[in-house]
Amino acid sequence: MHRRRFLQLMTAVLAATSLGGCSPSEPLRIGVHPWIGYESLYLAEEFGWLPDRLQLVKQHAASHSIEGLIAGDLDAAALTLDEALRVRGAGVPVRIVTVTDVSVGADVLLVRPGIEHLTDLPGRRVAVELDAVSGVMLFAVLDAAGLGTDDISVVDMPVNEHAEAWRRGIIDASVNYEPEASRLEAMGAVRLFDSSQLPETIFDVLVVTEEAAESRPEAIRALVRAHFLGLQHMVRNLHDSVYRIASRQDISPALVRQSMATVMLPELSANHRYLARNGRLNLVANQLEIVLLREGLMKARSDVRPVADASFLPRSLP
Amino acid sequence: MRGCHWLCRGLSALLMLCSMAVGGKSQEVITLGVYAYRLDTLIYERYQPLADYLSRQTGMQVKLRALSQDDMNRALAANRIDFFLTNPSHFLVIRSERSLTGVLATLLKQGQGETTGSIGGVILTRSERDDINTLQDLEGKSIATPGLTYLGGYQAQALELLAAGVDIHRHNRMVYLGNHDRVIRSVLTGDTEVGFIRTGIYEELVEETPGLRGELKIINQQRLKGFPFVASTRLYPEWPLVSLPHVDSGTVRRVASALLALEPDHPAAQAAGLAGFSPPADYQSVEELTRTLRMPPYDKVPRVTWLDVLHQYRGWVVTIAVLFILLVITSLWLSRKKRQLAMEGRRLRALIGSWPQPMLMIRDGVLSDCNRAAMDLVGYPSAASLLGKSLAAFSPHSQPDGAPSLQKAENLYHRVVCGEVAESEWVFLRPDGSRVWVSMTLAPVYEREAGTPAVLCSWHDITRQQFAEEQQRLALSVFKNAREAIFITDAQGAVMDINDAYSHITGREHEEAIGNLPPMPVDEGSAIFGVASRHGVWSGEFATRRVDGRAVVLNLSLSSVVDEQGELSHFVGVFSDITRQKEIEKQLRIMAHYDALTNLPNRVLFSDRLQQSVAQARRQGYQIAVVYIDLDQFKPVNDAFGHQAGDALLVEVAWRMRATLREEDTLARLGGDEFAAIVVNVPDEEQLDTLLSRLLSVIAEPAWVANHSVEVSASLGYTLYSPGDEIDGDQLLRQADQAMYQAKRQGKNRCCRFQES
Repeated sequence: MHRRRFLQLMTAVLAATSLGGCSPSEPLRIGVHPWIGYESLYLAEEFGWLPDRLQLVKQHAASHSIEGLIAGDLDAAALTLDEALRVRGAGVPVRIVTVTDVSVGADVLLVRPGIEHLTDLPGRRVAVELDAVSGVMLFAVLDAAGLGTDDISVVDMPVNEHAEAWRRGIIDASVNYEPEASRLEAMGAVRLFDSSQLPETIFDVLVVTEEAAESRPEAIRALVRAHFLGLQHMVRNLHDSVYRIASRQDISPALVRQSMATVMLPELSANHRYLARNGRLNLVANQLEIVLLREGLMKARSDVRPVADASFLPRSLP
Repeated sequence: MRGCHWLCRGLSALLMLCSMAVGGKSQEVITLGVYAYRLDTLIYERYQPLADYLSRQTGMQVKLRALSQDDMNRALAANRIDFFLTNPSHFLVIRSERSLTGVLATLLKQGQGETTGSIGGVILTRSERDDINTLQDLEGKSIATPGLTYLGGYQAQALELLAAGVDIHRHNRMVYLGNHDRVIRSVLTGDTEVGFIRTGIYEELVEETPGLRGELKIINQQRLKGFPFVASTRLYPEWPLVSLPHVDSGTVRRVASALLALEPDHPAAQAAGLAGFSPPADYQSVEELTRTLRMPPYDKVPRVTWLDVLHQYRGWVVTIAVLFILLVITSLWLSRKKRQLAMEGRRLRALIGSWPQPMLMIRDGVLSDCNRAAMDLVGYPSAASLLGKSLAAFSPHSQPDGAPSLQKAENLYHRVVCGEVAESEWVFLRPDGSRVWVSMTLAPVYEREAGTPAVLCSWHDITRQQFAEEQQRLALSVFKNAREAIFITDAQGAVMDINDAYSHITGREHEEAIGNLPPMPVDEGSAIFGVASRHGVWSGEFATRRVDGRAVVLNLSLSSVVDEQGELSHFVGVFSDITRQKEIEKQLRIMAHYDALTNLPNRVLFSDRLQQSVAQARRQGYQIAVVYIDLDQFKPVNDAFGHQAGDALLVEVAWRMRATLREEDTLARLGGDEFAAIVVNVPDEEQLDTLLSRLLSVIAEPAWVANHSVEVSASLGYTLYSPGDEIDGDQLLRQADQAMYQAKRQGKNRCCRFQES
């Protein structure tokens, strides 16, 4: 579950300028890493719904996909919306062609008992991994509370170190996600706020490079279609898919069911709605870009074109 | 209101009676049918505790019946069971055949310490079958299965094999054995090579007979963490427990709550190998499966409506529709064009047919088509008599240039076929024997890409031109060869053309004559052009001179020529040299008026002059005298010396008299030896007497004729005319004659005056 780590990109950007994209004869390379929202792609591959011209490049974390996109090794990747925007900010134009899932409770703010309201947060030490989606979650929480980053003491650390920091009493609150959240809760942390209270804000998406979108639209259409076929199996045939996901992620089926409960898996029509020109995704992306620029997490807004592109969505599915 | 009251009472009484009847049978009995997927004794053994549990929980007697699928269908048809538990595929078939209340709960299985609500299929074969390892290896193998409506025992495997490209329904020998135990046995005994069973059975059998594990192997085993059984296929929801609509809702509620309340460690659950029941699962994936496999209840090919087709193949339908519309439009357009073309063709044919210029089509050397004008020209009544013949067939044997018609026609045809456009004059022979001159134009017409072209032939009737040319030639010949000089001038009179006779007569060569005036009468000059233009013609004779100075008399006739507008354009003149005629005329005139011997005027001229003299005397008022002179004794001279001497004497006498008379007087010989004289302007008789006396004396003088001196005398009679006398010349001469006779009578050689007697 390292999907949300984001590395400094500038060195990678420099590397990318010297590397070209893939030639059309090569398969479309898609960076993907384990996350419930991206399981559709694994399922599609398992059932043979992924055409030969698509190649899943299985990573351990999102950071590798991001590096791959910037270096030009990948043509597409499964990322969070903020990651997609940061790739754009780093100078690689990308488009979002599918929303794979929307967080409805996967991202949480855990606090020590006694902190009962968001208004109790000022002055507290809040652990957060700013370069990952947790950063976005934190800004959303602060927005919801009417606070700024100056009102709290931000402790920037990787999510997997939060438990230790909690145990040592260094932090009063932690912005994190499953399964770290469960571990902290086991240590007495209380869930004060989660992404279910931020409806349709934290998105996981499929992004493709502008170059691939221009030169290989058919492959991208096939990729999007494969995602929806996988998703269809995942949702309709839950009795089968939970075991397959459990096998891949090496967790129990019960935990798969639990994590599936924290995300919403938008089907085709919902995707059409999200990716519309005036849809939710473009709106959230704009707001998010403003926040990322304000907080200095993104250098520049390189591309003014809308990031969402619904043109690759299939009209219907079998 | 009262009526209603009574009705209510009646109804409540009826209800009471009914409940008493049920109560009379002590406890209510409900029947739970369980599909016997294994031997029914085993099913009874396992599920009786569940039935007992339900009886206890619901307070109703739950009777268990283990049924095969067919038995269960029959029991359902007769409403003999109230609840049933069967596999999802069978459930779908039942649901399609009759209405059901719905799924109350979905079975949860337990195995290896795990609970699952999923069911899948297992593909088994004997371990020693090294040739069967993957799904593809199953192609053509014999397969044992409990039956088609088994989800885990057939359908799940069938889908996986279909996805792997193996259609077992078509290419495999399927053996339907009714339950899973028989499938295992069949595989173990080698009756069939492969067996299909549902998940969980294999574990149960291995538990019962541990040795089996080594004897059997699983094909396409799935890696499904947390799933307690081996599986060869993807998974589907477990068996549903279903209630039938005739069961009242209270009973359904009680049974459902008892089912959901069943704990995994309950003996009833343990006995059946269950982990309890979960809320009803979504069986859509099973429906999808049977639909894909076209299995009951989705074995019927869905009735595809036009709307479905339209929806599914909208792009194609629209494309085909557009193409069809285009086709229709194109064919309409084409047929319209064809009609237009046909009309155009008809119009063209009519045009050519009625075109006044004769036109024909020649194919392979013979006429294949011709218009009306062509028939009329060659004088044939119908096209039929013309077509199929060559040009030479209605031509004379040879053409005007001497070439035989047949040969000339062939030469022309050959030239045109080679691509030339040929023109030639041609003569046709009409059936009535007359000849027609035509100017013939032949051009090739390429009707097809390759091959010999047809020849389009058009005729232009030049018979009239030919006639006119002949006329012109004739006219030119006349012009050239005429003895008369012919000239043509412009409106101003300048000569434009002349013929040879012109040069011959005038002595002017062609070059000199052109541009100058033609010969014209000196006194009238170019005025004759005015006359000719006014009156159309002028003619006259005139004297002129040739270039070499010789005088000639010409007889010219000059005509004006007007153009179509009536404007004077030319003059045409014809003249001839009449110099010789003129001379002859003059001599004749002399011969008529003068005496040939003496060259004196004769009687005719004398009387003419007498008339003139009388008239002059009358005008001038003077007297004239007419003298009649007759020689005396002339006859003897004639007789003595011959006529020549007599003639010489007459000439001598005449000369003497002439010399005696004045110039203005006239002396004439009237014949023989008779003379007469007119003496004009006689002032008085004395002078006259003197003159007459002198006459007598000159006559009487001797004359030398025929070497002889001869003397003659003359008798003179005269008369005077004074103005105012009413007398003419003839009378005067007669009076003088009478006076002469008087002189004769008086003795000759004397002179007498006419006396009125």
